[in-house]
Amino acid sequence: MKMVATKKMQGRGFGGGRLRKRDLIGWGLMLPSLLLFLFFVWWPLGSNIGLSFFSSVGFSANKFVGFANYATVFQDPIFLKALLNTLKYVGWSLLIGFVIPIFLGLLLSEVVHFKGFFRTVLYFPSMISGIAVVIMWSFLLDPNAGAPLNAIITALGGAPFRFLDDPNWVIPLIVITMTWRGAGGTMLVYLSALQTIDNSLYEEARIEGASFFQRIHYVTIPHIAPTIRSLLVLQIISVLQIFYEPLVMTSGGGPDGASESLMLLAYQYAFVKTGKASLSSATSVILSALTILLTIVYLTFVSKQKKKAPQDV
Amino acid sequence: MFEKTRTYFLNIKKDFSKQQHEKKAEQKLETFSGKKDGILAWSDYRHPGAWVAYTIGIGILIIFVFLALAPIFWLFVSSFKSTSELYEIPYNFWPQSFSLTKIIEVWQYLDFGKYFLNSIVVAVGSVMAAVFFNGLLAYAVSVVKPRGYKVVYALVMLSFMIPTVANLVPLFKEISDFGLINSYLPLCLAAGANAFYFLLFKTYFDSLPQDLFEAARVDGAGDLRIFFSIIVPLSRPIIGVVSIFAMTAAWSDFLLPYLVLQDDGMQTIMVKIYSIQSTIATSTEFGPDRLLMLLCLSIIPQIIFFAFFQKQITATSTTSGIKE
Repeated sequence: MKMVATKKMQGRGFGGGRLRKRDLIGWGLMLPSLLLFLFFVWWPLGSNIGLSFFSSVGFSANKFVGFANYATVFQDPIFLKALLNTLKYVGWSLLIGFVIPIFLGLLLSEVVHFKGFFRTVLYFPSMISGIAVVIMWSFLLDPNAGAPLNAIITALGGAPFRFLDDPNWVIPLIVITMTWRGAGGTMLVYLSALQTIDNSLYEEARIEGASFFQRIHYVTIPHIAPTIRSLLVLQIISVLQIFYEPLVMTSGGGPDGASESLMLLAYQYAFVKTGKASLSSATSVILSALTILLTIVYLTFVSKQKKKAPQDV
Repeated sequence: MFEKTRTYFLNIKKDFSKQQHEKKAEQKLETFSGKKDGILAWSDYRHPGAWVAYTIGIGILIIFVFLALAPIFWLFVSSFKSTSELYEIPYNFWPQSFSLTKIIEVWQYLDFGKYFLNSIVVAVGSVMAAVFFNGLLAYAVSVVKPRGYKVVYALVMLSFMIPTVANLVPLFKEISDFGLINSYLPLCLAAGANAFYFLLFKTYFDSLPQDLFEAARVDGAGDLRIFFSIIVPLSRPIIGVVSIFAMTAAWSDFLLPYLVLQDDGMQTIMVKIYSIQSTIATSTEFGPDRLLMLLCLSIIPQIIFFAFFQKQITATSTTSGIKE
């Protein structure tokens, strides 16, 4: 203690501007990692924003054009489609994928038999790589009459379904695939939140004669509400960046752009429709702005949550 | 005449069945005696309605287990089919034969071991970079706290919001300017600049007792000494956690490897599978049945990995409450 105190005083005594030994060591330790962050995150982020205001030759900036790239992008019908679709992805994922993990978490926290088995198996799809999952599902969702899901539908007396070839169904079906893979992981987070609930609250509720649904309503839901809010925002953020699902499942946003997303479009502007690198930058800047907006919302929720219950998070 | 005896026996019988019934109910309750927490505690299971609800709950979980496993089971079974069997009408769930030669044939045709090896190289490199760089940074921010560490923390958290691949064009240009196309270096090092791993380390270091560091400092240990003699030995659990995450992420990673590894012989499994999938419509030699077999081969390491570490993996997600 004493030594720390004197060190601190020394630091101040030498005029404050002088570096302490600890500062030197600290920055020395941080430097290699900071260089990596600079290379992989900060520099690309900065130059991406820069490039979005320039015309491009290949992948390099050429002439300053102001907001012209943004104007071009907003006039491109495929961009508007991608923007709308990205919001559709988010909407469908909230509709399909949001409640299932909460429900499973609740069930699992109440179950006594085979709890470990259920937890492991339900988490299992989250372990498989995304690319493998979406290729597997494109096989299952094959529009051929002889493909597995259509075989089930025809066996039940239905007509073969077009699945991913149907522009109205392609987004919900991709969202089902994402939910299949992601629900288990989210379920575990809810499970951890449910386990932190103080049991005396339930006891009190029981003594007061609260029914099962009253207990959920007055004890469970209020307690996991911060987790629900946080995961809601996290889910929105991750779905906003949806990319390889449409790339693989609908060979790049088909049918006729019905599953095109912003991130996919940013990739296509850069690497498929060559010579549009600036448009790609503008698109990902718009996407990042959307994401940051939502992350700020998320972080305010998390800090509120910390104030309320410092033991979890 | 026997009226009395009869009622006597009947009463005994009634009592006995009643006792049996109660015993059964108690036995049933006993299964829940350990359940002292949660929305329904064991005492609630005296109520028969709770039993019905519980059974329905288990039933629903079984349905979800089926939904989780059926597609994977289908994949493994169907990968042994031939292409014509795949699209056969009427549909047959089982293939005509489970011939192991198909596995060997597909493996050899592609020289798949090469891609496996590439994936392993990237995964191991990523784990090393993820642990070393993020751990070091988290130690500096959490324990050493040099002047200005808050700015660093804020900047790192900023990158939490923006995934590496969001700034595709400049990142790709940078990597090619540095001559790192067809190199595993950028793929591994990218794991070293990961806000999620950083946060896992930082949360862990923050939870270590601060007195420990104070005591060590009183004893005259410097920050480097503290790092090697206190932090590193104490950090085994969190190093394990980050390694598991980094390993799975690297195995599954797609976009950056796809852009960087342009030379076919350098590609990782996932990149190779994607390039096969995207050309399968025009390919004459590599049919969908072989692609299915490839998918199986590519996820088997993940399944084995999961089987080994499932406790650690599910426990981390449960206790940390942080989601990737």
